[in-house]
Amino acid sequence: MRSWLPVLRNRRRYIAFELEAEGRVRGGDLMAEIRAAQTSLFGDLGAANNRLRMITFDGRFGLLRCHHTRTEECRALLATVSSVVGARAAIRVRGISGSIKAATEKYIPQSTLQPDENKRRVDLGPVSGSVVRVIGREIDLCPDDRKMTEGSGTRYVGLTSFDLCGEDIDADGTSDGL
Amino acid sequence: MIYYEPNVHSLPEGSDSASRMALAAKKLGYSGIIISNHTSSGRPFGLDAAGLVAGIEVAIGSEITASDQRSLHARAASLRERADFIAVHGGDEKINRAACEDPNVDLLAHPHRGRSGIGVAAARAARDNQVAIALDLSPMIRLRGAGRVRWMEAVKRDMGVIEKFDLNIMITTGARSHLDLRSPRDLVAMAGLLGLERDRAVEALALPKTILDLNRRRWTSVGVELL
Repeated sequence: MRSWLPVLRNRRRYIAFELEAEGRVRGGDLMAEIRAAQTSLFGDLGAANNRLRMITFDGRFGLLRCHHTRTEECRALLATVSSVVGARAAIRVRGISGSIKAATEKYIPQSTLQPDENKRRVDLGPVSGSVVRVIGREIDLCPDDRKMTEGSGTRYVGLTSFDLCGEDIDADGTSDGL
Repeated sequence: MIYYEPNVHSLPEGSDSASRMALAAKKLGYSGIIISNHTSSGRPFGLDAAGLVAGIEVAIGSEITASDQRSLHARAASLRERADFIAVHGGDEKINRAACEDPNVDLLAHPHRGRSGIGVAAARAARDNQVAIALDLSPMIRLRGAGRVRWMEAVKRDMGVIEKFDLNIMITTGARSHLDLRSPRDLVAMAGLLGLERDRAVEALALPKTILDLNRRRWTSVGVELL
């Protein structure tokens, strides 16, 4: 690529984000969804001004690049993404920074908890089903009764360890009531 | 700054328990949420567990569904003593107007659903009765194309009325799942695209706390407050 005069170079901001989704999401699918949302919200002209690019995405945390005056617009744009390839999802902006290094060090945790794959059951009177994943205190439950999640468009029911075992919770947030 | 999400629907109406909503909202930077399930649905699931989530206040409110003005006023009057926060399921021109005319009501939720909005008469009544108008951003998140354009037209038209009568507003997403919640800064950015100034948006996010405090005052007799 041709080198550019420093004064003419476009200034950039890097948006560190976290994706919450009900299934596994590939980076390409996510970017396609973001581009569709961008065109829908700003049109082609506004989308060109944003200069949005994806730098990295590891399935949960990622980094986007945008024009330095358009961070608020990009924040609003990322908030309008509600599903990726049919599965409900939400993008949480963790922070915005001026360099890749700073954004990664400040906002993207280097070691993350892996989702729990064990299938366990929960039976709580009105709510019953099998556990899909556990992250810290948050528990996603696949309900036996499909009608339970009607209206919100989600597949899973969200619970916490507080719902399962009341006050008997380990200090590190693992749940015993499962 | 203190931010509250005033219109959250939990199990059995949404797909998340009250404590999961509270945990998700806390992670996003809220100081509190108000669980306001519709009056037509059953008792929310796991309210005691929600109280255990540290660092966030979970208030219980109610969203009134009514088919006509008379039943709306009757329900609001009967709920006033029990609920800390009363919202009205808006979207119909008549119900929007009736909600604005009722001093018992705290919030008119999603008045722009179904392309209706608040007119000048309703806005004047809302100012006199201190009814807040909700700027429900869920259509902006979930709709695309023509449907969203119509919604934006209705909201932009009403923004002028809200500005003129200096009405109270609250910003919400009407969340039914933790994936519907958005952080306060995201909401401010989205409201900015709709023409709401930053200061006004921040004020709108803090307003539910003020209203809750006013509703929770205890009166021993007329004009005497128990402190």
